[in-house]
Amino acid sequence: MVKDLTKKFKNIEAVKNVTFSVEKGEAYGLLGPNGAGKTTTIQMITGLFPPSSGQISIGGIDMIQTPKKAQDLIGIVPQEIALYQNMSARENLKFWGRMYGLSGQLLKNRVDEALELIGLTARAKDKVVTFSGGMKRRVNIAAAILHRPDLLIMDEPTVGIDPQSRTHILDTVRRLNVEGMTVIYTSHYMEEVEYLCERIGIMDHGQFIAQGTISELRESIGDRSRILLSFSQEHNLQQVPVLLPNIDDKDIQLEEKKLTVFHKKPQEVLSELVQQVTKAGAQVKAVEIIEPNLESVFLHLTGRSLRD
Amino acid sequence: MSFWWLALKDMIHLGRDKKAILTLVFMPILLIGILGAAFGNMFQEEEAHIQKFKLGIVNHDEGELGELLEKELFEKNLATTAEVESIEHDVELLRQLEEKQLSIGLILPETFSESILLGEESSVNIISIPEAEIQSSIVEIVTQQFSETMGVELTGMKLVAEAGDRAGNPAGFEKHPAPVILGNPTELPFDVLKETTIEPDQKQVGSFQYYAAGMGVMFLLMTVVNGVGAMLEEKEQEVYRRILTTNLTYSQYLLGKLLGLLFLATIQLAIIILGTKVLFDVHWGESIAGIVLVGLAYVFSACGLGVLCGSLLKTEKSFSTAGMLGTQILAAAGGSMVPLYVFPEWLKEVVTIFPNALALQTFLNVMSGDHIQAVVYEALILILMGIIFLVMAFMRLSLERRKSYA
Repeated sequence: MVKDLTKKFKNIEAVKNVTFSVEKGEAYGLLGPNGAGKTTTIQMITGLFPPSSGQISIGGIDMIQTPKKAQDLIGIVPQEIALYQNMSARENLKFWGRMYGLSGQLLKNRVDEALELIGLTARAKDKVVTFSGGMKRRVNIAAAILHRPDLLIMDEPTVGIDPQSRTHILDTVRRLNVEGMTVIYTSHYMEEVEYLCERIGIMDHGQFIAQGTISELRESIGDRSRILLSFSQEHNLQQVPVLLPNIDDKDIQLEEKKLTVFHKKPQEVLSELVQQVTKAGAQVKAVEIIEPNLESVFLHLTGRSLRD
Repeated sequence: MSFWWLALKDMIHLGRDKKAILTLVFMPILLIGILGAAFGNMFQEEEAHIQKFKLGIVNHDEGELGELLEKELFEKNLATTAEVESIEHDVELLRQLEEKQLSIGLILPETFSESILLGEESSVNIISIPEAEIQSSIVEIVTQQFSETMGVELTGMKLVAEAGDRAGNPAGFEKHPAPVILGNPTELPFDVLKETTIEPDQKQVGSFQYYAAGMGVMFLLMTVVNGVGAMLEEKEQEVYRRILTTNLTYSQYLLGKLLGLLFLATIQLAIIILGTKVLFDVHWGESIAGIVLVGLAYVFSACGLGVLCGSLLKTEKSFSTAGMLGTQILAAAGGSMVPLYVFPEWLKEVVTIFPNALALQTFLNVMSGDHIQAVVYEALILILMGIIFLVMAFMRLSLERRKSYA
C-alpha cells in the first residue's frame, strides 16, 4: 500500500501524492511515458531512498521504519542490468542468492530452478558479458526471484530487447503471477501491461492521472476507437472540427502531420472525414483505425503518446 | 555473514581482470627488478677489501711491549690480515721491501716500552711499498692505538698497585703491570674503515632490498586506489542499488568491501615479498614475524586511508584521478622513488606521518636486522592510523546516508 507518496529533489517534485494499493497475488501495472516518475516511485517502494512524505507498507510492514524487514518480502528487477558481467550466470545467481540469505543445497536448488525458468540452464557457465541483451534481462529477473519474494517489482524489464526474449520474459512473469507472486510491473509499453496486469495506474508528470482495471480505463474514453490520419506534410486543418459537427472538439487532436479522432463507430465517419480533410487541402498518406486500448486512454488524457 | 561473500566476489572479480593483475602483481616485480639493477651501485658501500699483506718487524725494544705488539697483536689477532715475519736487522728489512718480498716494514726502537710507560712519544718507523698505502695506515693505526691504550692502562694499574702498597696490598695487586691487552683491540682500528651509516650491529640494505620495500608500499597504495575506485564505480551502477535491497545492511556492505580490499592488498604484498625473494633473492630480514606484522599493519592503514579518501570523493572518475596523483606524491615523499638515505634527517622524521613512509622505514629496519620486538611500536602506530582513517570514513558515510533519509 502506497499513500500520498511525494518525493522532492531540491525544487523539483518528481512524485506528487501518489496513492495506490496492490492486492496479494495481483499483477499491477504502472504505465507512463519516460520521466513520468515511475522509477522514482519504484525506488521509494523498494527502500532505496525515502520519500519526502507519505507512507509505504509491504505486507503490513512499514518500509520507512523497518526497511530491511520489508525488503525481505521484495524482489526487484531494476531497469538497468544489475549483474556482474565478468561472472557467469550461475555465479551471479549464487551471489545474489547469498545476498538474500540463501546457502547450501537450498541455494543450489533455487539457482537451478531459476535457470530452468529463464531457459538458460545450458548457458549457466557462460559469463554474462557474452549474453545478448535479452538473455541478460532474463538473468536479471532470475536474480530477483531466488528468495521467492511475495512481491516482485519490475521496472521496465524489457527495454531494448528482441521480441523473442520479450515474449519469454512476459511468459515468465505471468507464470510467476499465476503461481501466486504479486507483481508490480512498470512499462511504457501498454501492450505488455495489458497482457500481464489486471489493474493499472497511469502516471504522468509525477502523478497518477488514471487508475483502474483495463475495462474501466477503456470505458473512461467511452470505449471509442481511434481514427488516425497521417499526412505527407503539415497542413492547417483548423477548420476540420467545424466540418465534423457530430464529433466533440475534445475528441479531435491535431499534431504536426497527424490527425486523431476518437469515435465509437469509426467506419461510419471515416469516409466523410477523409473527404473533409482533402477538401481542406491535405494530402492523406495513411489511414488507421485503432481499437480502444491503454495507449488511446493515455493519449486522450494527456494529448501525448506514451512513447513521446 | 553475507559480507564475506561480497568480499569473495570482489576477489573473484579482480582475479579475472587480467589488466588489474598485470598492474598489481607483475608491474611491481618488474619495476623492482629494473630499479634494483639500475641503482645497484648507489647502495653498495665502498668497502675496503684489504688483501693479506706481509709485514716485517724489526724489534729493537728492550722492554716487553714491543714483543707484545708483535706476537700478541699482529701475529695472533691480525693473522687474517697480515703475515708477520720477524727480522733481525734494519738492512735486511729494507732489502726485502725493495724486492717487494714485504709490503710493510715496522721498526720498533729500543725505547718503545719505556716511552709508553713514561707516556712519552716513541719514534716508530713504518716503511711501505707504494702499492700498500692502506695496509700502511692499518699498521700505523694499530701501533698508535696500542701505544695509547697500553699507556693509559699501565699508568692506571701502576697507580692502583701503589695505592694497594700503601694500604698493605689487601687485594694482592701486582707491583708491575701484567702484559694484558684489555678489550678486543682488533675491533678498534677496523671500525674506522668499516664505518657505515647504520648501526654497528645492523646490516646494510642493498638496492634490490630497498626497492622491493619501496615499490611494495607504493604499489600497495595503487591497489587500494584501484580497489576503492572499483567500489565507487560499483556505487554508480545498478548492482549497488540491488545490493541495498537485499539482506545486506549498509554497514555490512562497507565491511565486506573493506575485507575484500584487505585480502587483496595482503595477497599483493605477499606476492611482492615472495616474488622478490625468489626472483631477485631479496633478503627481507631475519624476522618473518616482523615483516608479516609490519605488512599487515601497513595494509590496514593504507586501506583505511583509501576508504577515507573514497568517502570524501563521490565519483570514481574524480577519485581515480586524485588517487593516482596522491599515490605519486605519497610515494615520492615516502622514499619509494628517491632513497630515504638522501633525505635530510628532519624530513625523514616528518614524512613518517604518511603510512607508506613509516612502513618503508620499518621494513628497512627489519631488513637491516631488527626483530619483531623492535617494530611493534611502528606497527601499532600504523594500525592506529588505519583505525582513525576508518572511523572518519564511516562517520562521513553514515552522515551522508543519514542526510538522504533526513
